[in-house]
Amino acid sequence: MAPFRFLEEVALADAAFEATGDTPSDLFQAAAQAVIETLVNPATLLPTCRKTIEHRAPDLPALLFDWLSDIVYLKDAEGLLFKDTTVVVQCDRSDGSWTLHATLAGEPIDPARHELRADVKAVTKHLFDVRQDGRRWVARVVLDI
Amino acid sequence: MKLNTAMTVNRISDEVWEIPVTEKPGMVVPARIYATEQILTSMDSGVFEQVTNVACLPGIRRYALCMPDGHWGYGFPIGGVAAFDPHEGVISPGGVGYDINCGMRLIRTDLTLEDVRPRLEPLMTELFRKVPAGVGSTGFVRVNRQEFEEVMRKGARWCVARGYGWQQDLERIEEQGCIPGADPSKISDQAVKRGINQLGTLGSGNHYLEVQVAAQERIFDRETAAKLGVTGHDQIVVMVHCGSRGFGHQVASDYLKVFEKAMPRYGISVKDQQLACAPFRSPEGQDYFAAMNCAANSAFANRQVITHQIREAFSSVFGRPAEAMGMEIVYDVAHNIAKVERYEEGELVVHRKGSTRAFGPNRPELPDRYKETGQPVICGGSMETGSYLLVGTDRAMHETFGSTMHGSGRTMSRAQAKRSIRGEQLKKDMAQRGIIVKAVSMSGLAEEAGFAYKNISDVVETVDRAGITRKVAELRPIGNIKG
Repeated sequence: MAPFRFLEEVALADAAFEATGDTPSDLFQAAAQAVIETLVNPATLLPTCRKTIEHRAPDLPALLFDWLSDIVYLKDAEGLLFKDTTVVVQCDRSDGSWTLHATLAGEPIDPARHELRADVKAVTKHLFDVRQDGRRWVARVVLDI
Repeated sequence: MKLNTAMTVNRISDEVWEIPVTEKPGMVVPARIYATEQILTSMDSGVFEQVTNVACLPGIRRYALCMPDGHWGYGFPIGGVAAFDPHEGVISPGGVGYDINCGMRLIRTDLTLEDVRPRLEPLMTELFRKVPAGVGSTGFVRVNRQEFEEVMRKGARWCVARGYGWQQDLERIEEQGCIPGADPSKISDQAVKRGINQLGTLGSGNHYLEVQVAAQERIFDRETAAKLGVTGHDQIVVMVHCGSRGFGHQVASDYLKVFEKAMPRYGISVKDQQLACAPFRSPEGQDYFAAMNCAANSAFANRQVITHQIREAFSSVFGRPAEAMGMEIVYDVAHNIAKVERYEEGELVVHRKGSTRAFGPNRPELPDRYKETGQPVICGGSMETGSYLLVGTDRAMHETFGSTMHGSGRTMSRAQAKRSIRGEQLKKDMAQRGIIVKAVSMSGLAEEAGFAYKNISDVVETVDRAGITRKVAELRPIGNIKG
């Protein structure tokens, strides 16, 4: 399981978390798992359908913001929740931009089978932070519930 | 008095406190907080920080305000009110919130507790079936893109024209359920895709549908209550709390990005990224205003479709048409919105974020039936305690841009609430106290336990004593539906 922890004192009415990873790809996967676990107990989901997502952004924080926002978007627009993700994040050395290629595995929402949790309205910029701490990558994210 | 801030907070009266402009560089106006001393001392540090950040925004007039249910939010505090000059001032999604036109609706009935108690379980089951709630829920109304654009333009009027409501419903909704100036061309495809299937759904978090009782002994002003259709004698009413769902959330997210990019162009810097804004008269400001009005209208439509479903559920359980049970709307109010309104200074762009419009008697915006009483104000408490019906006052028009509180305000984190009680246990405890709960998510239910909120009665007493709203009736829950 990718490492993340929920931060209780950051957003009283909402959900905040800190995710970590040895690489940007690991970090993005951990952060995605935190969003997924805010929405649903992933153990109750089956990986019956797959989605592929590609993004390019001028910097890593912008790329993470777009990536997590996609998970929220797909929940409403396509009625999909995801069990897990595979993420490859790379820096394009030609212009310093960052790219993401991700595969998400999950299934259409079924309240009868899925242990649903809180509906996330948005990924916010409040205290939003992505940084390299020694050899680890760390992100702090606040979700509006 | 020990406050969660090092700032100087001066007492103006027992219910009004002021932070002077000297307390933070860049403050254009003082900040004012409506609270008793007890409520003020319990407010988190975010309230003081954020209300003074709002006081720094360009073109703000008189005061940055926070109501007694205030707590930390994104950009503005929840409970925040600010009015801006339309020529020199800004508009900010952070002053409206992600859930555009989140609001409250109250529907009265002629039924009594005696009528409903024996049928409460099937009633709640039917309401739970007819009003979808929870993560990613979709409604029964299917619309194509063109029809959804009509919803954006016409709001509750579209619903009534489609048979989802009665003609007389419209005058009992803020702005008659349709704010002019909505422009669907300012809406992203993503926002449409997030919202097009969600008409008539509650969502989750603190949103709910509640069956409540208005008991004679909890009516504080019988004459006004009667004019609002609340006669007491264990009368059954229904309260709805929800907003514009994924559609509004996406509009807010889209325009925060637009404003972030636009601010340097207008020489605006803000103390918090979530306060991103643009001059109201700028192309970006006007685009957001037009898009926000689309989302606001869709929220009115959402609550209207839910009202239709509530009437259908009551009708099927009690075997009578909703008309025969007197199921009229009392009122519908937005508590996350920005609007152009006229005050002593002329037109102002009033932002209310977790704050309710509370217009006093004789305002031209009010329907004839409420010209004498003032505007009904609906404030939702936690699902375990109670909610209140109040009316707006002249004093609110002069002091708070016709604004007041919206609910009770959270005091405990969601995680702590979940650690304190399990959803299943809470449901059982509430059943023992005569409140039937139907919830999609048991963890979501635990997060909304009554102890996670301020006591709404203390908050209501504050606005009543401050004179910015007058309390009319307390409404106690007997059935609750949550996402």
